Amino acid sequence: MVNPVSRREFLNLLAATGGTAAALRAGTALNLLPGSASAASLDLLNLGSNQRKIAILGGGISGLTAAYELSKQGYDCTVLEASHRCGGRVMTLRHGDLIDEIGNRQYCEFDDEPHMYFNAGAARIPSTHRNLLAYCKELNVELEVFINENKTSFVQDDNMLGGRPIRNIDYTTNMRGFMAELMAKAMNSDELDAPFTESEAETLLSMIRSFGDLNENDLYSGSFRAGYAEGGFLKHGVQKDMIAFRDLLKSRLGRQMMGANEGDTGPILMQPVGGMDKIISGFLNHVGEQVKYRAMVTSVQVTDKGVNVAYDQDGVRHSLEVDYCFNCIPTHLMVGIDHNFPSDYVTAMKYVRRGEAYKAAFQAKRRFWEDLDIYGGISWSNTKSRQLWYPTHGIHKAKGIVLGAYDYGGGMYHTMMSQEERIEAHLADHEKIHPDFRELVEKPVTIGWHRMNHMLGCSARWSRNFGRGWTHEEETLYHTLQAPVNGRHYFIGDQISMHSAWQESAVMSAQWALSHMDAQVRAELA
Amino acid sequence: MLNFLPLDARHKLWRLATRILPVLAVCQLIPFTDAAEREPYDDRYCTTCHGTDGRGNEGIEAPRLAGMEDWYLRRQLENFRAGIRGYHPMDTAGIAMRPMAKLTDDSIADIVAWVGSWDYQPAEITIEGDVQSGELLYGVCATCHGMDAKGNAAMGAPALAGQNDWYLVTQLSNFVAGYRGRHEDDRYGQQMAAMVGTLTDESAIRDVVAYINSLETR
Ligand SMILES: Cc1cc2nc3c(=O)[nH]c(=O)nc-3n(C[C@H](O)[C@H](O)[C@H](O)COP(=O)(O)OP(=O)(O)OC[C@H]3O[C@@H](n4cnc5c(N)ncnc54)[C@H](O)[C@@H]3O)c2cc1C
Repeated sequence: MVNPVSRREFLNLLAATGGTAAALRAGTALNLLPGSASAASLDLLNLGSNQRKIAILGGGISGLTAAYELSKQGYDCTVLEASHRCGGRVMTLRHGDLIDEIGNRQYCEFDDEPHMYFNAGAARIPSTHRNLLAYCKELNVELEVFINENKTSFVQDDNMLGGRPIRNIDYTTNMRGFMAELMAKAMNSDELDAPFTESEAETLLSMIRSFGDLNENDLYSGSFRAGYAEGGFLKHGVQKDMIAFRDLLKSRLGRQMMGANEGDTGPILMQPVGGMDKIISGFLNHVGEQVKYRAMVTSVQVTDKGVNVAYDQDGVRHSLEVDYCFNCIPTHLMVGIDHNFPSDYVTAMKYVRRGEAYKAAFQAKRRFWEDLDIYGGISWSNTKSRQLWYPTHGIHKAKGIVLGAYDYGGGMYHTMMSQEERIEAHLADHEKIHPDFRELVEKPVTIGWHRMNHMLGCSARWSRNFGRGWTHEEETLYHTLQAPVNGRHYFIGDQISMHSAWQESAVMSAQWALSHMDAQVRAELA
Repeated sequence: MLNFLPLDARHKLWRLATRILPVLAVCQLIPFTDAAEREPYDDRYCTTCHGTDGRGNEGIEAPRLAGMEDWYLRRQLENFRAGIRGYHPMDTAGIAMRPMAKLTDDSIADIVAWVGSWDYQPAEITIEGDVQSGELLYGVCATCHGMDAKGNAAMGAPALAGQNDWYLVTQLSNFVAGYRGRHEDDRYGQQMAAMVGTLTDESAIRDVVAYINSLETR
């Protein structure tokens, strides 16, 4: 038997939770939490007949945000991009595309069709990423829903039920049932009066019952929520057997199953129709002419009056003198580029660690998941490949692209492998969920962000104090790097945010820098 | 052949054939894809990590290449390619380098020539230590790397003066710990591994590097 939580502990816990919720409500009401910060609030001065030259180093989404906003106000912008493409970590792979991973160059061989693409970097947009969404609207980037959490997808763990994959809904229905039963037991006691009025207690108990679908005796005895073992339409549905609580506890994947509706990675998100890089194309429709490709920045010298930038293009070193410079080159690469930055700045640049994200994808010869009632969402497994994403887009078409691996924190495991080893690892892992996976897929692509040319990492890791938050010193280093050098050179990108690995952070960092520069320009012109 | 056709028709056919045949021949050379439209790439990606003109990048732990002897650079690239260097799990920077050295002989030759064209500037000094005690320790090193640490091609020993000091520290530590120079095919590496016995701890390594820092660079 499971040891019940002591009643006293439970009540304390409830009271504490109530306290937090109350604080949050008050906070929002008083506007203490981030309020509306839509792109419209960026109020930059139009230069009119004045002239200012701008260099933007790196065509990442933050760099393009700067180019777009400044061009609108009459600034003369040049974007220097080392790669053959803009977008950086916003990278959508389609038929024929080059994957510029050093030591593992590949061309994407997916069929040439609009829905046959893979977002190898950024893939999901939460509804709260207002600034990014505002640009999508302004740039006419059509959005569609992205199904992130799907109850019919699978969860598989060698430690649970002999490795047999079960549906997300079986896992969560049973888990919630048992948890609710536990809570209900604690609630059905005289000590309850303490923190609650009688009607509050009643409401709470009814919530607990519906949370877990408990029976009239407050016991969990299985639920139709997990679907039917058989029937359900023309015949009465037959309830599925319960899965024992102990069995579910053998897996740690509950973290993914039960916490899936956390903020940035909630159950329903958004994606641009046709690929995440439609946002990049949206920007380039306006500022494309200003981009120099395969133009690798080699030197950044800040002077009293502006910034002198040098770059290599076609084997020739060029120079560019500008008034202001916005730089989204990853700090770990910038350390190796000539510069005259002050020493505290350099210390901060060297402090940032680089992340190790890794993704892989396959072309599926047919949409086999739809035969299994799966439309979008993620199957989770306790394997190194971790995730299997079924595309939300292209429903009922002949083929689709599945994500075959996504490891955000521990991507080096696959990155260190050869291409053949990576692919074999993913095939073997997903055979545990779909036994004929190997036969069902073809044309793999793998992306080790730690080795992507001109990137060499994703994403900036400021805190070395994992789980315990930033230290005071880290906050200081961060603010050092956010502040401009001599008022002329601004670092931008999600690396200059406290929430890296989101486009929203990259966009907001650019907007912060733009507003800061705008204040200087207004003063100069006054 | 084709004599049953009128003469002008035969001529037309011939002209058509002369136009189609070369196209068919080319089609055979190019793999069955639209390879012609594909984004090209080359192997001159060294500066992404090794920094502007190969002056080294501490942010990636990628050492300076500018000024490196061509024979030394070639040997190390070949060693990385063959897995003679960068094989030990604790040699993280070496392991990171290995896949990047998946190069053809031609690419290696091209890179070596390219690196040779870079402007040389001595590296920034970042390591402090006891220069006097470092000088004593350097005695052993001088045998191969020269009194002035400018290297000795005949001994296969590269210049040390002017190299990134943090890189020298990592490599000496790797040799001491056995993360480099233990591969059976790494002749020069083994030689080096045998010479680091006097560097008994981290401060000895820093001292000897501090001494190298004090020497004139080329
Ligand atoms: C696997 C993965 C998953 C992600 N998932 C999401 C997601 O679901 N949703 C989301 O919103 N975000 C996601 N992100 C994060 C998002 O992609 C990034 O936060 C954002 O794209 C970073 O933009 P940036 O402007 O900071 O620049 P980057 O994208 O970092 O661009 C930097 C640019 O600088 C260029 N550059 C480098 N060196 C030089 C040089 N010497 N000279 C000139 N140019 C140079 C590079 O080529 C590149 O174009 C994900 C990222 C990854 C890798």
